[in-house]
Parts: sequence; C-alpha cells; structure tokens
Amino acid sequence: MGMTIGKKPELLAPAGNLEKLKFAIHYGADAVYIGGKQFGLRAKAGNFSFEDMEEGVAFANKYGAKVYVAANIIAHNENLEGAHEYFKKLYDIGIAAVIVADPALISACRESAPNLEVHISTQASIANWRTVQFWKNQGIPRVVLAREVSLEEIKEMKEKVDIEIEAFVHGAMCISYSGRCVLSNHMTARDANRGGCAQSCRWNYDLFEDGTDGSVSISDRADEAYTMSSKDLSMVEHLPDLIHAGVDSLKIEGRMKSIHYVATVVNVYRKIIDTYFEDPANYQLDPEWVDEIWKAAQRSLTTAFYYNEPTEKDQLFGKPDRITKYDFAGLVLEYDEATQIATIQQRNSFKVGDEIEFFGPNFYHFKQTIKEIWNEHGEKMDIAKHPMMITKVKVDQPVRYYDMMRKSK
Amino acid sequence: MNTSYRPELVATARDLKEVKVLAEAGADAILVGHQKYGLRVTGDFGLEDIEQAVLFLHGLNKKIYVVTNAIFHNQDLIDLPHYFERLVELKVDGIVCGDPSVFPILDEMGKFIPVFWNPETLSTNFETLKFWQKQGIQRAILSNELALDAIFEIKQELELPIEIQIHGMTCIFQSKRKLVSNYYHHIEDVNNQEKYDRDKKLHLKEPKKEDTNYPVFEDFNGTHIMSNEDLCMIEHLEPLIDKRIDSLRINGILQSRSYNEAIVKLYREAIDLCMSDLYQYKSFQFLNRVRESLGAIKSEERKLGTGFYFKEQIY
Ligand code: SF4
Repeated sequence: MGMTIGKKPELLAPAGNLEKLKFAIHYGADAVYIGGKQFGLRAKAGNFSFEDMEEGVAFANKYGAKVYVAANIIAHNENLEGAHEYFKKLYDIGIAAVIVADPALISACRESAPNLEVHISTQASIANWRTVQFWKNQGIPRVVLAREVSLEEIKEMKEKVDIEIEAFVHGAMCISYSGRCVLSNHMTARDANRGGCAQSCRWNYDLFEDGTDGSVSISDRADEAYTMSSKDLSMVEHLPDLIHAGVDSLKIEGRMKSIHYVATVVNVYRKIIDTYFEDPANYQLDPEWVDEIWKAAQRSLTTAFYYNEPTEKDQLFGKPDRITKYDFAGLVLEYDEATQIATIQQRNSFKVGDEIEFFGPNFYHFKQTIKEIWNEHGEKMDIAKHPMMITKVKVDQPVRYYDMMRKSK
Repeated sequence: MNTSYRPELVATARDLKEVKVLAEAGADAILVGHQKYGLRVTGDFGLEDIEQAVLFLHGLNKKIYVVTNAIFHNQDLIDLPHYFERLVELKVDGIVCGDPSVFPILDEMGKFIPVFWNPETLSTNFETLKFWQKQGIQRAILSNELALDAIFEIKQELELPIEIQIHGMTCIFQSKRKLVSNYYHHIEDVNNQEKYDRDKKLHLKEPKKEDTNYPVFEDFNGTHIMSNEDLCMIEHLEPLIDKRIDSLRINGILQSRSYNEAIVKLYREAIDLCMSDLYQYKSFQFLNRVRESLGAIKSEERKLGTGFYFKEQIY
C-alpha cells in the first residue's frame, strides 16, 4: 500500500447467492452483504442456507473480506420466533455483522450473540445526526443512512458523532423513505416491509384534480401516466466527494442483480477507490470508468439527494433512455498460454462472429471478435447455445480464471 | 382486573375552532401539530394556538397531544429543543414522536414530557415496543398494517398503553421528493410554482382500477399518499373494548369539518353504548342508525373499510 490520505472506505457489495458472493469479492469488494433464509427483505434474492454462509465466509476469509447478513424486515409478532438461535448461528459461522432495521431484532441479537456487530439498516430512515447519536449511545458501531441525506448532512454527522457511516453509492432506490411505503400492502396485500414489495411505485397511475364539477384526469390531458420511478443512483463520477464527507462504507445496491452486474460495478468502484488513494491530489475521473458503469446500467442514472433535492430530472418520465444492455456470455475457467486458447463455461449463447469483451479484476478488459469455438471434445462449433456447456475459444489477449466474457444483447 | 377502564377517544384537529367542536362532540383528547415537526397534521398550529388549545382542553379536563413525528434532517433539529421546551411549558399532555433523535434531545433538556411513539409503519411487534419502552416512551401507537389478533397480542405482552386508529384515512406512502410537482413540471411547465398541498384535492387511481381513489399531497415533509379506503371500525368496537385497547384514534385529515364532527359524535355514542349496554350496541336498530348516519355524511368517492384488521398479508 502506498501513501494514503484519510481512511480508505470499505467497498460493500450485494451478493444474492454464493456464486455472486465469490464474484463480488474476487472483483474487489471488501465486504458483501447477503440474506439468509429468515428475517431478510429480499424474499426472491436466492438467499443463503447456513452451509452456503459457511462456504461464503471461508471464501471471503481467503481474501480478507467480510460477510454481513441483512436481517432487515420490520417484524410482526409471529416473525420473532427463532431470532435468537438465528443470530447465534450467524455468529458461530463467522458473519461479521448483521444489518437490522427492527429494534426487536437488535434486542434478540444483543441477547443471544452479544459479540455479533449490529448495523442499523437504511430501512430505519436515519436522516439526522441526533438519530445517529441515539444509535451510537445504544452501542451501535455503524449506521446505514437514509437515501434522503445530502453530502453536507453526512459531513455534519461525521463531525458530531464518532460512528461508522455506510451510504449507498450505486443502484436502484425506493422513491419513498425506506420502510415508509406500504403501497404493496394496500394494492396487492403483500407486506413490503417483510420482503413482499410489488414495486407498486413503478406502476402507471392516473392523477386527478377534484374540481367543482367532478374529477379531471391530468394524466389524460397530458397523455402521460403519473409515475414515481426514480432513476438509479450512481456516484461513479463523484466518489471523492463521498470519501471527503467521511463515509466509511460505500454500498452498492442489488442482491437481485446478476453476476455480470455485480462484477462490473464492483470492478469500477474498486478501480476508482484505488486510483484515488494512490494519488489523491492528482485524481481525475477516467471516462472509461463511466462507460463501464453504463454496461451494467438498467436505467438512467442520478446522484439522488447527495447534492440537491431531486427534481423531475431525477425521475423516469417519458420514454426511457436507450441503454445498451449486456449479457454475461461466458466464464473463463482456464487459459493455455501456449495456444492462447481459453476454456469458457457458457452463460449465455454466443457464436462465431460475435463482438465480445473480456474483463477481469483490476479493471482489465479488451474486446475481440469470436473467431473459432470448439466443444469439449475439440469439435468445431458455430454457436455455443447450451447453458453451462464447456467451450474453447481462441483469445487475443491473456485471460484468467474468473475473467468474464460479455456481449451486447 | 382494572374496572376503571374507559377507552380514550382521540381526534385530530386542523385549528382552534375544530379543537373546540371535536372536544364538545365527545373526543377525550385532541391531536394537533405543525407540518414542520409532525407528519400529516390536519392543520398547522403555531405555539400560540397550542397554548389556547391547552387552556381550552384542560378546562374541560381533556388532553392535548402534539404531533412531532417527522423524519428529521440536521437542519430541522435546530429549533427542536426550543419547540420541546415550549411544549413542556405549555403543559401539553404528550408529544407524538417517531424519530429516535428526540431521545438524546429530551435527555439533554432534562425535562420530562410524555413521549408517545408513532413511527407509523414501524410499530409492528411487541419486542420493538419493549425496546422503545426502555428509551422511556409512555404510549405505543401501533402501525395500521396489523391484524387485530396481532394488536391484542401486543396489548397482552406490553405494559404500555397502546393506541390504534379506528377511523379515517391512513398514510400508505411518504417520499421526501416532490412527486406531484415533479410530474406537473414534466408534463406542463417547469417553472410552475403551484403548491400541491392538502387543499388541492388531488388523487391517484390505480392502473385499470376505476374505483380507486388515493389522495395525494405535498407538504414540508415531502409527498404523501393516503389510503383508498377510510378505516371504519365503528361496528367492531366490541373486541377492542373487550381487550382494553387504551386509545382509539380518529384521523380527520382531508375530511370536512362537518364530517369530522359527526364522526366524533357517532364514535362517542357507539363507544359509550358498547361499554354500558353491549346488547343495544349490537342491536340492529343501533347498527342501522350508524350505517344511515355514515351514509349521510360520507362522500361518494370514499369507501369505508376495516383496513388490515381482518386481513391477511403475504410476503
Ligand atoms: S413500492 Fe417502490 S417505494 Fe415502495 S417499497 Fe417497493 S420499491 Fe420501495
């Protein structure tokens, strides 16, 4: 490590399952957060059994990385059962911290696993320094802030309270204060605060003004539905600002996102953090990092509340921006230097003539055209269309195990 | 068994006039506040108004609570200690809070004022409320998204008084963003300075559901979307009283004065009857009369319902 100014923040990545955990860490995350089978909000995010967690922790340990478990539901009475055993088990497995929103689960964790760190989730909407101080007084070492706070506000929190602050740098966002939206409960009888969110905020509504002679549909008049979707957060162009504000952990959203997404986003932020700390005075944004982020983007991007209160420009109105989407086409398993042939496990169909891009940790990447493909038995093929099939591909530059091959959709 | 049980009927008021009307209509306690400190208050009370309301209500031996449960940002904290000091001096009977910042602030002030806990969607189980009890709260106000069984279990497990909403709209969404202005700015004119507040009477309809009506408005705390149905538990008071729920709240937000007055009167009568003569309360005559009265005062667009009290949710 060279000379650094200030403390290097942690890069914290989502991992919806064991494979994503491995990619996130291999691509440079200092820590990952996962969900278990209980108490987590992402009911559909795959989620880890205790065995998976054990394997994940063992893998993380090899890299010196940490594993956190999100237990961020707002529990009802009947959900409390088993919490004590659960936290005790997490501690025994070697989980570094749990991310909790409901004080009931803080109490359970305190009692059954007093040495397991508790971080307060963004679901608790922590938006001011006194609330941060409250949690500090409760012995909480880290808070995840509400997405509604600005950089100025974070700075003040850090000045006034000695506590670790975790803040989102990238990903999709609730348009509501987290935890304060029960649209899904009302519209679909699914409890958003226990993982049942139906993304009702992203639906098209009709807005009416109630006048003296009845209701008038504004949406009809404007010929555009009423929507509330936010663009996705990205601080890729402004990371040093978060570092200067004193953020201790930079969090990427997306336990439901693909391996390609996680690896790409982690890779970019890792590169930015490392570049910055190598030489803070001469740091400059490389447009390539931004290009790379767009390869994983699913919506247009915004800096949300960090600089100003978001306006209509930070919402997804009108026709969506065109974004080229990419598929994870193949995973490099082996590389033979002598023949320049890579063994690739197919993840999405690719064929001879495709323009593809290889990329790997440390922001390594290059583009090429696929010239030849062979199957396991050395027979030539035009197309690799079977999921997970093993192929051989001639590559223009060296690749390594865990490098990925992407192609535009 | 505590034989002196009598549920408290709490109602929200938009101004001094409504404080008086609703107190006389039979409310035992009135909720007031200002949007700068409280979420979805029905009208904005300055400190002088609060002082007047305290004098009036205390004269009638009734209570006044001040809503201060906004999700505060650093900037909002600056006046907060002063505001709390004044509320203590004015002898309000409690403040309704939902942001943990109030605990260190009140600690430093070193003065006592009863804190009622209402973080809206987050008061969902008894262990959570026991945690806040340790921080000193004097009353637990439960989330609206609970089934009655869950409420009764909380009542059983918790030594604190509990309060639930029994009538009116409930909030189902709060964003810090100006989600109505943003839409108008997008479709019409970026420079339009219009206020899309409570008086503007806007509502949303769900896609392909013609009969839905979700009121929406903006204020100091952002954008609020309210429920499609008005909660109405007037026919289901028996189990609430049987289980000795301490406080029953009527939320009068976005309703007319005459409606609120009539509703408070109706609940006063129903509660008293349910306590004194259960047989009469459950009689067809009484229920018919209640339904007729409700039919006469309720607006056409608003449906009445029982919210989540008898409904199961999946997740
Ligand atoms: S509906 Fe939207 S704002 Fe509400 S919880 Fe779901 S994603 Fe968040």
